[in-house]
This record gives sequence, C-alpha cells and structure tokens, in this order.
Amino acid sequence: MSFLAPFFLIGALAVAGPVLFHLIRRTTRDRTVFSSVMFLPPTRPRLTHRSRLEHILLLLLRCLALGLLALGFARPFFRRAASAAGAAAEERRVVVLVDVSASMRRSGLWDQARERAAAVLGSVAPGDEASVFLFGSKMTPLVSFEEWRSTPAGARAALAAQRLAATAPGWEEDHLGDALIGASEALADTDVEKKAAGPREIFLISDFIAGSRRDSLQAYDWPKNIVLKLETLKARNPTNAGLQLVADAPDADRLTSPAMRVRVSNAGNSTREQFRVGWARPAGDDFLGAAMDVYVPPGQSRVVAVPLLAKATDMERIILRGDDEDFDNTVYVVPPEKQRWKVLYLGADAADDARAPLFFLRRALPDNPHLAVELVARAPSGSVPAAELQEARMFFSTDSLPPETIAALRGRMLAGKTVLFAPKSAREASTLAGLLGISGLALEDVRPADYAMFGDIDFRHPLFAPFADPHYSDFTKIHIWRYRRLNPGLVPAARVLARFDSGDPALVEMPVGQGRLLVLLTGWNPEDSQLAVSSKFVPLIYSMIELAGGSSDEASQYYVGDFIPLNSGAGAGESTTIRRPDGTTITLPAGAAGFGGALQPGVYLISTGQHALRVGVNLSAAESRTEALPPDELERYGAPGPRSPPDAKRAAEREALVQGTEAESRQKLWRWLLGATLAVLLAESALAGWSTRRNSAAVAQGGSLS
Amino acid sequence: MTENAASSQLRSATLVNPKALMQLRNLELRARVVVEGFWSGLHRSPYHGFSAEFTEYRQYSPGDDPRYLDWRVFARSDRYFLKKFEDETNLRCHVLFDQSRSMSYGSIGYTKETYAATLAATLAYFLHLQGDAIGLLTFDEAVREYLPARHRVGHLRQIMLALEKPTGGRSTNLAEPIGRLASLVRKRGLVAYISDFLAPIDRLEASLLTLTACGHEVSVFQVLDPAERTLNLDHAAVFEDIESANRVYIDPVEARRDYVLKIEAHCAAVRAMCQKLGIDHQRISTDQPLELALYEFMRERLRRGRQIRAATHHRP
Repeated sequence: MSFLAPFFLIGALAVAGPVLFHLIRRTTRDRTVFSSVMFLPPTRPRLTHRSRLEHILLLLLRCLALGLLALGFARPFFRRAASAAGAAAEERRVVVLVDVSASMRRSGLWDQARERAAAVLGSVAPGDEASVFLFGSKMTPLVSFEEWRSTPAGARAALAAQRLAATAPGWEEDHLGDALIGASEALADTDVEKKAAGPREIFLISDFIAGSRRDSLQAYDWPKNIVLKLETLKARNPTNAGLQLVADAPDADRLTSPAMRVRVSNAGNSTREQFRVGWARPAGDDFLGAAMDVYVPPGQSRVVAVPLLAKATDMERIILRGDDEDFDNTVYVVPPEKQRWKVLYLGADAADDARAPLFFLRRALPDNPHLAVELVARAPSGSVPAAELQEARMFFSTDSLPPETIAALRGRMLAGKTVLFAPKSAREASTLAGLLGISGLALEDVRPADYAMFGDIDFRHPLFAPFADPHYSDFTKIHIWRYRRLNPGLVPAARVLARFDSGDPALVEMPVGQGRLLVLLTGWNPEDSQLAVSSKFVPLIYSMIELAGGSSDEASQYYVGDFIPLNSGAGAGESTTIRRPDGTTITLPAGAAGFGGALQPGVYLISTGQHALRVGVNLSAAESRTEALPPDELERYGAPGPRSPPDAKRAAEREALVQGTEAESRQKLWRWLLGATLAVLLAESALAGWSTRRNSAAVAQGGSLS
Repeated sequence: MTENAASSQLRSATLVNPKALMQLRNLELRARVVVEGFWSGLHRSPYHGFSAEFTEYRQYSPGDDPRYLDWRVFARSDRYFLKKFEDETNLRCHVLFDQSRSMSYGSIGYTKETYAATLAATLAYFLHLQGDAIGLLTFDEAVREYLPARHRVGHLRQIMLALEKPTGGRSTNLAEPIGRLASLVRKRGLVAYISDFLAPIDRLEASLLTLTACGHEVSVFQVLDPAERTLNLDHAAVFEDIESANRVYIDPVEARRDYVLKIEAHCAAVRAMCQKLGIDHQRISTDQPLELALYEFMRERLRRGRQIRAATHHRP
C-alpha cells in the first residue's frame, strides 16, 4: 500500500491525546463539593498510574478513530506494478542545443558549454537516443540521431565531445527561437520514425542573453510532452560594452559628412562605465589619432560621432577600449563608393534640339550621391571609338546604325551589356534585325486616330517593379501619338513588358547572349509621345540603368550571416572573386545571385571583372546585449518551460506521483476509511453513553443507600 | 434511672431510622413521628409532666386587655377574670437555626439542613405539645427570619413553614444572630442553637456570654455529617468549598488523619467554650436517630431542673 499524502500519517500521533486524557482525567475532572475546606490539608496532584487507566475499550475506540482518520487523509492506494513497468520501458530522446553565437566568445563560456554538454550526454542511457546541434543564426547538426544510433554505445559521448572540441563559437547572431523550434521538429521527426511517444527532452546549453532572438516562438505551437531543460552558462566577466554603426538616412551624403556615428551600448550587468572610442590603425589594436572618452552607465547606450580624420586614408575600423570582452568592440566602416558610369547615346540628334530624344535623355540623368552618369552622344554616321564602346556600361540608340556599329553593339550585348533601342520609324527595322542577329524583321508605323496609351504593363518585371504600387501605376495620362508595330513572335525568347491599349507591344525585352536588348516601340520625344514630359520618364530610365547593373542603393554594410547580393548587371558573364577579411578567397561562378558565407566580421572585397566592391560586415548589435534572461523567460513564449538541471530521479518521482494520483482516484480507499471512522465514532458514542448512564445509576444508587 | 439505662430503654423501643424518616416530605409529620416515638419509648417514665404548670385567673383591673377576659367564668360568677395564659407562665423557647450554605452538605442521601430542620421541628412540636411558647430565628451571614415565641394556634405551622423555606445564604456568621436575639428577646427563656459551627468561633463566646448573662438557658446542637467527622471518602478529587468556592485537590486517604485531628480540635474548642459558659453542648451526627438527641436534650433539662431545685431547697 502506498500513500498519496503520507505526511498526514503524522496526524496519527494525535492518539496520544486520548491516552493522556484518560490518564489525567481523574485528577482534573472529578470535583467534590464539601461543606468546608478550612480543615483540609491540600494534596499535591499527581497523574494516575498507567495501570490505573480506565475505560480501556473507549480509549481503544478513540485511538482507532483517530488512526483511521489519519489513514484516510493520507490517501492510500494499491500500486499496480504493471503500469509502472510499462512506463519504464519507454526510451528517452534528447536533443542537445549548443549555442555558438558570438556572445559565446566571452571568456570561459565555451569551456563551460563543452563540460555541460559532456555531462548531459553522459547521463543519456544506452537505450536512449540523442543528437547534438549547434546554433547561431542557423542550426547545424553536429551529431545526428542516425550517427548516434550507428555509433557503439560507449563511444557516443566521446564522438560528440570530440566534435565539440573541434568547434568554436562563431560570429553569428543568437536565433534562439529558431533553434528551439528546429529541435522540437527534429524530435517530431523521430516520432514519425518510432511511432511512439516516449519522454522527449531538449537541453539548451546557452548563455541565454537578452539579445537572443525569440520572437519566432510566439507563433509556434509547442508539441506536448517535450521537456525543455535550460543549462545557463555564466560569463566570468559581467562587463560587456558593444559598438555598432548607426545607419545614416539613405539620402545622406556619407562621403561628405564630417563624422561617423557609432552607438556604444553597455550591458545591464556591467561593472564599468568609462570607455574610449576612436579609429584604429590599419595594423595593430591601438588608436589612430586621439580617442574619445565615453561614459555609458550599465544598461544604457550612447551615440558618438567619431570625426573623420583628414589625413588618414585607411579608416576602416572603429574600436572600443575599456571593456572586459572584446568580441564586439570593433566596427568595420566602408564608405559607399560613388559609381561613375558612362552611357553611350547613338543618334543623329542635335544636342540642343528640344524636340529630339537626346535633349530629354541628358536631363533625365542627373548625378545622385551613389551614381554619376556621364552621357556621351555619338552620331551614328561617324565611327565610335572602341575604348568608348568598352567603357560604356549601357547604350541608347534611336537611329539606323551602320553595320560595324551594329556588330560592335551586338558584341557588347553578347558580353552582358544592355542596349535600349527606340526606333524613330519603321526604317530602323534593319538595324533592329542586325542587333538581334535575325532577318526578316519588319516594323510598321502606326498613327492612331486619336492617341494611344499604355495598356497592359508587367509590373512584376524589375523594370516596372518600382511602379507596382497603385499610387504610381497609372500610365494612362501618357498619350502616344505614333508608334511602331512589331511582331514579337519573330524573336525567340522575347518578353513583352508593356503593351499599348491597342494590344501592340510597347516595350519588349529580348535576350542577346548574356546581355539584353530593350526595344521601346515609341519615342519619348514630343513628336511621338508625352513620355518624356511625364513623371514616369526619369524613374523608368533609372530602372533601365539599374537593370543594366548600376545599382543606386548598393549596400556596403552587412551583418554576419547576411546574404550579400551580387550585382547582376556588373557580374553578368563573369565569375566573382571574394576576398575574406582573413585573406582567403572564394570564387563564385558567373550568375551567382549572392554570397552567404560572410561568417566573420571585417571588410570583404568583392571583385567582378573590373568592378570591385568593398563591403563591411559587422557583428549584430543584439549580441552585445549580454545580460542574462530570467529562467522563466521562455515560458512567456509558450515554451514548455526551462527545468532545473537534468534529474531523472525527480522525473521518475513526478511520474510515480501522477500514476499514484490516478490509482488513488480510481480506488478511493479513503471513502471506506472515512466510513469506518464514522462507524467507530458511533460505537464510541454508544459505549460512552452507556458507560455514563451506568455510572450515574451507580452513583444515584450508592447515594441513596449510603 | 441511670443514663445508660435510659439509653438502652430508648434503644429497645423502635427508633426511627433517620434515612427512612427523611424520606417523608412533610416536616411536621417528621417531627410528629419522632415525638410520638419518643413518647412511646418513655412509656411510664418518671419524667412525665415535668413542665406542667397550673393555669390561674386574675381579677380584671382597668387597663388590661379585654380580649383575655374569660366569659364563661363571667357567666357563672358575674365577675371579670382574666385568663392567665400558658405562655406567660410556661417555658419560652427560641430556636436559632443556621441556614448557611455549609448546612446544605450531605453525604448520606440527605443534607445536614434537612436533618437540622427536622431536629428544630421536633423540638418545636415537642415543646408545643407541652404548652410552651416557641420562637424561631433563622440566619446565615445575617438574620433571615424571626418569629417571636408564642403558643398559639397556627404558630407551629408558621414555624414549620419558616423551617422549610429554601436557603439563600452563603457564609456563616455565628455571633451576629445571637446578638440580635439578645436584643429582641427580653424575657428569660430557653435558646436552642442549631448549627454545624464550621466557622471561626472567635466572637462566638462573647455573644453566647451575652445570652447567658440575660438569663437565658442555652442549648447548642452541633450537627455534623459523618463524612465531616471522619472524611470517609474514597476517591481523590478537587474539593470545592460549598461556601467560599475555594478549590483544593485532596486525596482523602492522605488527608484523613490531619483532617480528623483538626475537626476534633475544633469541636473540642466549641465544647470547651460551652462548658465554660455553662451551656449544654450536644454534637449530633446526621446518621443518628433524632430521638436520642431529644432524649439528651430532655435529660440535660431535667438535670438542670434538679440542680435548681436542690439549690432552692438548700438555700437557708
């Protein structure tokens, strides 16, 4: 027999009460009225001797009632051995999540993490299964369930320890929420394999900092029966200050601003408040020039403007000193470089002819902070220097071109450049055919009765994507007086990006080699349409330049782990070489969309042909928020709640308690015990009443006789 | 007849068991049973008529109360004579009856008060039959009721009612009622003082001396329960004083010896005081037949009468 609340058995000690009362009752309860006590010498009271206990049966009944009551309150039940054995047979599955984010680089944390992981894996029984995952911004398997199963039981923990020893914390951001979700899904996958739901546990070995990203947990519906156990690591030094670059407004001219702004943030549990900030020497860790003193109380942050140095040419690092942990004390600053583009216009227009396309095109290409476009106009009749053809990043043409120029342009297109051809009339059909390398192409001049408009526009194409918003998608105010009709079916792989309201193509994209030919079948000059005087013209031209590879908002700052997109136009047809901060290089094939391997902070040099781009990759600001979260933080996100260190004994006790509760509620022995108590109390009352009556009768009889 | 002979004669007669007697609820009936048994026990006794007096007539003189004129004598002789009343010539007896709460103790089925009331009623009935005047004074810590000594139709009934009244007193003041009686009763007479005397007797002697100095004959009846004399109780218990409510834990087995010594010393002190003042003292246990008490009373009265007569005859 077991008890659900065994401490109630202490109540059985109350039987001492009746025994004591039965012992002392004679001395305290009996009273005799006497005429005068003036002649009576007082006697010292004393307990009746045990052997003089009276009413033994009454005493036994009272003790029995108390004992039964205590037994009933202790909720007894008979344990069924079968159910306990069934529960013990289930195997345990464990996922160990080891944090390798940048904050784990703090002193002493990684050693602790390895020790904890070894302890957890050492507690896994041979019949259980385990897997180890590393997580930063992504989750990486270190030892999978399959490897665990395939490894002999004695070598499993050693395998995991060996792989952990070969690993070190990276520079990534701590995506704790994603890691927990990934771990629970890994456990769910094994559920499908096993078709059984034994105990499932996630051991989270992390420094559990406030900067970890947990928002993805909010929308996650946790599977049941997963136990989350938190192994929080504590850093040796509480002080940690971080340095982050403050992003400027997109239209700010960072090249001309006199200072770089950085944010110095101090963790909430720091013990230091005084720091120094300044530019670092290209080689070495000391300051280049004078450093600034910054006072930041714990838990707060300050934005500091670090002035640019007039003579320094290699300003690419700002460093923070005065901090215990230096993993987040450097920001890499790469000022965005202004791109200088040369665009070639091939047409017979006079430069000052206000009705010619060149006049409007020149005015549509002003400088901006990121891009300077130099428009070079050449008459089609004259020869175009080969150097200009090589330098030009994009080509515009409206007239018929001589065959050699057509061939040169086609060669550039095949090499990946973009050409916009807007034929002035149907006569330019041969030039268009030459550019496309086909024959039999015909154009037809169309002059609508009233005017034509743009009808169907493909806003999904990058060219029109900026106009996709309903605020800007209205092209109907642009009237078109005349246009050229083209049958796009003659050109393979031609894509119609816009059509007139008559259904004829208005803008067609035709791939030529690695480049493309854009054919605009109306002119933007006033004789053909109102396009040049509409608000759509300048954005449309810039869209074409961007499409040609002249990205105006090319970012130069990224965070570790970010995907760095490669300029499609610049890199078309050529492989890209990336030089990492540590000097190693990686070559991406031509056409690669971007680079996702920026896993360490520093300056990356991305070279595509002649085009080179320097990119600064910095640590995420969240990693600097190293104050520890409260242990119940995850419960706020619906996670099953961190439990204290692995304790199989406690889990078994809890399981036994649940089973005991079920058995007790099924058997309900307390009801029988309560009924027995009532029966005993009734018997006791009857016996006591009978005894009292008998005594009274004896007293009455004795009084009348004596 | 010697004292022992008289006692044996009484014992040979049918003495009434006090327990049986106390089962009778009517006090007057109890008194009558005792007195009639007493008379039958003293059949052909030489003490018969010891207190009989002749009734006289006196010539009426102006100022006398006309209520006492004897009209039959007037009818025969045509002269006015006053009837000389018995109470003027007979014994005047006052019964002092203690009604304090200590008297309500009893260990043998009835209380000392019941027994003492029966004793008082017996005395009153007996003396009433002899034509003596009977008065009553009940008291506890103060005087409760006073009936002057009379021999009149219905007076005995009043005395019985007064004796049967429930007691309300708590403590005992032995001296105060005596002083009060001395101030109320000027004529000499007999005073029967019935109490348990379980109270300090410091001022009692002075009060009794006042009574005897006034010429009263005093008889003291000290009524005690058998348990009060011997403490023959079995179980240890908390003893509660019936008057002061003081509680003392007593084991009778251990306390009996000391108690008996103390109560005997107290009784001896009361007796010694009475002897010193020439007062008849009689200690009565409530399990003792009442006839014996009455007999002792009568015997003492007779002894005193002889002494007085002897003193009168020997006077030169």
